[in-house]
Amino acid sequence: MKTCQVSVQLETLKKVFGENVALDIDTFTINSGDVLGLVGNNGAGKTTLFRLILDLLKPNTGHVTIKTEDAEYITSNCEDWKTFTGAHIDSGFLIDYLTPDEYFSFIGKVNNISKEEIDEQLKRYEDFMNGEVCGQNKLIRNLSAGNQQKVGIIAALLNQPSLLILDEPFNFLDPSSQLAMKYLLEDYNKQTGATILVSSHNLTHTLDICTRVALLEHGRIIKDYNKEDSDMIAEIEQYFEGNVHHEAIAKEA
Amino acid sequence: MDFKRFRLIYKLITKNKKLSEKRHPMFERNRFMKIFSYGMIAFMACYLIFFGLMFANLFADGSKEACDMLNQGIIIFLILDFFIRFGMQETPAQEVKPYKVMPIPINTLMHIFLIKRGWNWYNVFFMFFFIPFGIISIATTPYFGVSGLIGYILGVWLLFILNAYWYLLWRTSVNHHFVYILAPIIIYIALIFFGMFTGDWLFDGSMKFMRGFIEWNPLCFLTVIAAIVILYVVNLWLQKKLIYFEIAKVEKVKKVKSQEMSFLNRYGVIGEYLKLEIKSIVRNNVVRKIFISGVIITLIFCAVTAFTPAYDSGFMRVFICIYCFAVYGIMTLTNVMGVEGNYIDGLMSRKESVLSLLKAKYYFYCFMLLIPTLFMIAPVATGKYTVYELLGCLFFTPGCIFPFLFILAIFNNTTMNLTQKIQQRTTNSKAQFFVSLGAMLIPMVVMYVLVMLMGSIWGGVVMMVLGLTGVALHHVWLKAIYKQFMIRRYENMSSFRATRNA
Repeated sequence: MKTCQVSVQLETLKKVFGENVALDIDTFTINSGDVLGLVGNNGAGKTTLFRLILDLLKPNTGHVTIKTEDAEYITSNCEDWKTFTGAHIDSGFLIDYLTPDEYFSFIGKVNNISKEEIDEQLKRYEDFMNGEVCGQNKLIRNLSAGNQQKVGIIAALLNQPSLLILDEPFNFLDPSSQLAMKYLLEDYNKQTGATILVSSHNLTHTLDICTRVALLEHGRIIKDYNKEDSDMIAEIEQYFEGNVHHEAIAKEA
Repeated sequence: MDFKRFRLIYKLITKNKKLSEKRHPMFERNRFMKIFSYGMIAFMACYLIFFGLMFANLFADGSKEACDMLNQGIIIFLILDFFIRFGMQETPAQEVKPYKVMPIPINTLMHIFLIKRGWNWYNVFFMFFFIPFGIISIATTPYFGVSGLIGYILGVWLLFILNAYWYLLWRTSVNHHFVYILAPIIIYIALIFFGMFTGDWLFDGSMKFMRGFIEWNPLCFLTVIAAIVILYVVNLWLQKKLIYFEIAKVEKVKKVKSQEMSFLNRYGVIGEYLKLEIKSIVRNNVVRKIFISGVIITLIFCAVTAFTPAYDSGFMRVFICIYCFAVYGIMTLTNVMGVEGNYIDGLMSRKESVLSLLKAKYYFYCFMLLIPTLFMIAPVATGKYTVYELLGCLFFTPGCIFPFLFILAIFNNTTMNLTQKIQQRTTNSKAQFFVSLGAMLIPMVVMYVLVMLMGSIWGGVVMMVLGLTGVALHHVWLKAIYKQFMIRRYENMSSFRATRNA
């Protein structure tokens, strides 16, 4: 079940809100098959970057190009790349007056996936759903935040995307579900070769699953690590500890 | 707590309340809407002044004093006031939530919120009616004079404060149990019924009581003040009792039956969006209420047209015919994309999903035209309209009015809160205002001119042709709207996000 090879190229990408520069990336390439983790403190620009990649925000300058073996798509110029992309950022992706079963069925139909195939897919996520999502006859808006998160993530995976973008996927999940989520992403990447972009405040999980980690600060990628880099974990931990240290010094001052 | 601290907290809470109103996202993002709202308030005030003057003159020649004539029906003003308050005010138990964990005694908070309910600009709004009325019918008379006017206005104000506390008591009770919703209906109907059939005691009694205010009868003032105090105390007791209930209130999660609607599967992706449209009506309070009101309004107008001579001739005849067909579309499509604002990111991350959504919406609204068509059979059967006019409107609406309304999909960018119990106005832009006005007026003028120039048969035929042309071209104009929507997408998405939980 290999998916097509997808890479993402960011070029002179800049987003400004008022006077605040939310994102400013000169060039950055996410290679096909990468599991890229975006880490950074609040306001670093992680969600803004995902929204820009998904063409949900207009950049002030630059553009995002999604490349497959056969074609290149500038995301703001066409919609074809959406057919092989799956994403979940927040509740704005969920139709909350549907039940999860109805929502999955809806997502399946608009992606031309047969009912049998959807059922087959959902079976794979049974452990992750832990019997609390499907068949409950509850509207999505009446589910807990964790279960809503699960619905969004599964919906993003339903069309077996070659490019998967998940913003804070570990949020709201209980420890068991976080682990299940971690294995699920690892397996998905191994089986399909899909390019996966994940942002998270959970350093442990992010560092575990990602083949590459980008550290964002005030909208800029200040460091780009490969999993092979022996000093990656130490440096990232040092960065965040340093931030806490700086804040403490500032407070004392 | 000493008075100084009480005053300080009162001032802080008043300031917070004013800021929350001032910074309401609907106003903050839209200057036009803000000016429009102030304009509407000014218009309502002028309207009340006009009626005050009109009633004073109207009752001037009666057998009784003008003020006595009006005071007989003071209950009607109070009932009106009661129902206008509906949906506009929260209960103190709800308002107190953000302050609950602060070091302020609950008792103090409750007193503050209750006092604010009495000391509220809304309780004097009807004075735009009563002051001009009183100036003419009380102050200018030699036996009442200015002191009579002051007593009258003071009395009326006290009655409105009393009404505010009565409303609050009811509103709080309804929050606790839905059955209390019947209480004011039963009480008011019973009052009017007994008043009418038991020798007008209600009307005479209210006249004498109100005369007491004009003549500064202390008993009248004391009675109302005592009633206010009693209701204040009952409210205080009830609010304190219910505060923990309000804070811990968890909406009951209803189990819903998954609806397959397999008959729509044959229409592919459009069918899926049609299912979405239907489920949106069934499962969202606000959308459901608009749907029900639309159907009821259509039914009422059709019945009035069919069985009364009220709208038999001229422009009104045309107005009603167009209105019956277009009203549901106007009520809902002026807020088109408002529901979808809740999940706009999900839609936009899927290819052309908004185009499919617009198409599905169009087919749904076309199908909904069967309701006015059925209802309008009665006026056609009674000879009020010709079959050609009926068919003319049936095709003109989806072919010419709907395209006009669908243009709003390009401009609408305010998310509709689907879970709120009462519909808040979401008319938030100049575009919505002018398009809905145009969607109503232009077709009326077109139909009126066509019927006048060509008669009802050929006028209807021309409307049919115009409408069918629009229907035949729906793929073209929907695609054009979608293209424009995509051009404005970033602006709209950003606004939808910003108003999502407003």
